[in-house]
Amino acid sequence: MIRLEHVTKIYGDTLAVDDLSLEVNEGEVCVLIGPSGCGKTSTLRMVNRLIEPTSGRILVNGKDIRQVRPERLRQSIGYAIQSVGLFPHLTVGANIATVPELLHWEKSRIARRVEELLELVGLDPKEYAQKYPSQLSGGEAQRIGVARALAADPPILLMDEPFGAVDPLTRERLQAQFSSIQQELKKTVILVTHDLDEAIRLADRIAVMSAGKLVQYDTPEAILSRPASKFVHDFVGADRALKRLSRISIQGFVHPSPSIGVNATLSEAMAALQSHRSAWVVDHQGQLLGWVDQTTLSAAASVREAIVAQDVTEISLSSSATLREALSRMLGQGFKSIPVVDENRRLIGEVTLSDVEAATAEAEA
Amino acid sequence: MRNPKIRRWLILGIASAAFIALIANMQLWQMALSFLFPGETQVLHPRADLLILTLEHLELVGISSSLTILIGVPVGIWVTRPSGSNFLPIVNDLTSFGQTFPPVAVLALAVPMLGFGLVPTVVALFLYGLLPVVRNTIAGLRAVPPDLLDAAYGMGMSRRQALLKVELPLAARVILAGVRISVIINIGTAMIGAVIGAGGLGSPIIAGLVQDNLAFIIEGAVPAAILAILADQLLANIEGSLTHSPQEANH
Ligand SMILES: Nc1ncnc2c1ncn2[C@@H]1O[C@H](COP(=O)(O)OP(=O)(O)OP(=O)(O)O)[C@@H](O)[C@H]1O
Ligand SMILES: [Mg+2]
Repeated sequence: MIRLEHVTKIYGDTLAVDDLSLEVNEGEVCVLIGPSGCGKTSTLRMVNRLIEPTSGRILVNGKDIRQVRPERLRQSIGYAIQSVGLFPHLTVGANIATVPELLHWEKSRIARRVEELLELVGLDPKEYAQKYPSQLSGGEAQRIGVARALAADPPILLMDEPFGAVDPLTRERLQAQFSSIQQELKKTVILVTHDLDEAIRLADRIAVMSAGKLVQYDTPEAILSRPASKFVHDFVGADRALKRLSRISIQGFVHPSPSIGVNATLSEAMAALQSHRSAWVVDHQGQLLGWVDQTTLSAAASVREAIVAQDVTEISLSSSATLREALSRMLGQGFKSIPVVDENRRLIGEVTLSDVEAATAEAEA
Repeated sequence: MRNPKIRRWLILGIASAAFIALIANMQLWQMALSFLFPGETQVLHPRADLLILTLEHLELVGISSSLTILIGVPVGIWVTRPSGSNFLPIVNDLTSFGQTFPPVAVLALAVPMLGFGLVPTVVALFLYGLLPVVRNTIAGLRAVPPDLLDAAYGMGMSRRQALLKVELPLAARVILAGVRISVIINIGTAMIGAVIGAGGLGSPIIAGLVQDNLAFIIEGAVPAAILAILADQLLANIEGSLTHSPQEANH
């Protein structure tokens, strides 16, 4: 879909991008990451011809982009710039409508599209369409920036630190939102970031750049487990094992866990605990209530009385969680295993610390 | 919340009507000036009624300011485009020079070439008013944040579209401020037109200075001052209606 072939960009005597070759497949998210000044923005801007490569060539859909008029090319590529860049003299609605207007869409179609996009990025069209950019928070502005880039439904998106200027919590929300939008729309995306966690969360493939060169281009898992050079190794940092866990879903690690019905007798419960130090307690519908162990059972008159009933949402995970979240719960609660529940809070099974360890060791090998 | 805007236009309209009523009523001027200067035998300049003088004045200012805007703004735009950027320093120098050059000197130079009357005066006023317009056009366009241009081009606008949809709307306030300064300067400077027979409100003032007749001076100066205030308010109102204030958009 997008193919860079031996692309070099020199400004004066600054070598910004150095013989870079890269291919992004259709529907994939490629995340460009690297230290400040390594040439990420320059690379991005060559794809929509805001700057021209000094040498090398770029193909979009197999066609050399030099053969396409820049305006035409850019109208078919959504672009969210590093600093958002909403037009302050236009309403949010008019900002989003920029490209559709350049393409001479009908008024009613533009209005519908604006509404649709505001909803897509989770902002109420009635409230936001008439606002001016100065009335938005940083996170809202960035969402409008993304909506504006998506406006004419371009197959390709270039995003330069689209979630850069917001607090970590908002950023995480925006990332989650982007992921779900991307799952639905399947755009071909090149996204620039400084933030390794963001790259790991969003990327199908990560392109690590250093001083204008592409030093490794691979899946997040591979980058984390097999850094190609000392630079990448240092860049992903000492906690790369932990980071890698955030790419692994717990789904493959859930296994059946000892559980006791809340109406079981004490002796049944004791029997169930012969082989385990503790067990999860569920009600007659299978919903998780808490847990018991031998100590609490021996002091109680019934199973119900023995339950250590912490807030269940605090200890349990849904099956879409990652091993990193599982590990963080274990550390937070001091448990060696974490229960996994379905959307009705029914116990499915559990993930144990040894699973996490095994996953780490496996990826390391 | 639209009220303040409408009110401003309303006040301007009423003030303008009052101004016209004032300058149309020569008897009132005769009475007032005779009362103030009982010693003068003649208190009104004989050249023409105030209404005519004011219209002459407006003609001078209108023609020269229109020329200034029609030429100054495009020149300012041109030198901020890549095609004209080489001329930016020259244009800067020339417009500054145009303003440091005293208008009277321009007149002195223009008369031998263009004769007396309207044309040399308009030329002098045009040159004199060019600087604020050109300078503010350049400043306004330059103040457009580069990332907004990036966004504009990045979304596929042509240079022309970026200029019309992004740069000029954003620079409009600063450009209009330049126009405002230029027009006000011109209303004052147009007085010198009387020296070479272009008429206007300068006629009674110059005559008053020559003949040492304070009544004449006041007859010309008061309407000129009011005219400047009204023009200033008019341009301020236009400026106000061009700027997009979020508060006002909120109903
Ligand atoms: N227009 C320009 N003229 C001259 N040098 C430039 C220009 N744009 C970028 N550079 C230089 O090229 C290099 C790469 O810049 P680029 O903006 O691509 O980096 P980046 O990876 O996006 O950095 P950041 O993470 O800080 O945004 C830098 O050394 C920068 O100073
Ligand atoms: Mg950058």
